Amino acid sequence: MSQIYFEDINVDDELEPLERTPTTDMAIDFFGRDNPTNPAFSDIEAGKRLGVGGALVPGLLKLSWLTQYVSDWAGLEGHVRNLRAAYRRPDVADRPLTLTGRVVDKRVEDGKNLVELEVVTLAEGQPSTRANVQVELPSK
Amino acid sequence: MSVPEQSLITDEHRAAIGQKSEPATVVINEIDAKRMRDVLEDKDPRYADGTGIAPAYVIAGMGGGPRRGMPQILPGGLLTQQEWKFTRPFKIGEELKAVSQVFDIRDRLGGRYGYSVLVTQGTEYFDSAGEHVASAMITITQFDPKSQRKGDE
Repeated sequence: MSQIYFEDINVDDELEPLERTPTTDMAIDFFGRDNPTNPAFSDIEAGKRLGVGGALVPGLLKLSWLTQYVSDWAGLEGHVRNLRAAYRRPDVADRPLTLTGRVVDKRVEDGKNLVELEVVTLAEGQPSTRANVQVELPSK
Repeated sequence: MSVPEQSLITDEHRAAIGQKSEPATVVINEIDAKRMRDVLEDKDPRYADGTGIAPAYVIAGMGGGPRRGMPQILPGGLLTQQEWKFTRPFKIGEELKAVSQVFDIRDRLGGRYGYSVLVTQGTEYFDSAGEHVASAMITITQFDPKSQRKGDE
């Protein structure tokens, strides 16, 4: 895991895209098989009844992926401070998602090096989740 | 169910806005953190076994979270917005107090269900010293699945 520094970041810098394919097993295992979850996460018919078209991918799983994605980008000395996500379209299990992101702002605030990113999950090229993420990065 | 003639949000629902829940106890569990890391294939050494630190996304599996006590006005629900804030990392084994409250309830005409209700609720997590550790906020769009437009299934 390489370290990125505040001074090296520019607005409009893009994060390397990452592909993830959610499965129904992932959805259940993420929360624990003994824990109750939405039946639509594992049952295609329950998902269809919600109008999703298949087993629903949990929003919490997608936001966790985005958290990990940005955390990996920020490196060991970086910290994700907050995320704000809008789920634009439901995603269906077994359909690949591409995680992408770009830097939209950087500033120093109260002595902290803050970077704002927009990150998305793309399903068939269309954004399904959009998130604004604030990270704190180290200085050189 | 067709579009109701008047809002299904009652005075009782509105009275819930701003009311803080009794604190719920949440323990940052090593087994849960490891299981979630494994599913995400997270190799970040900061959260590896023995470090005593859990990744931020364990907040996704915490009990006592923002769905606790949420008013259920319509039978179906989809997560439509979410926010997480982290004041510091979670420590494995630490006990947190979770306090939730409803921030907003509003209804909406239109969209694939004709009528829906948006409930926004949040939870603040505090450590044993009363210091803020994290917060989570969600908006659930509640709907009646029977009202779905044809062609959207």
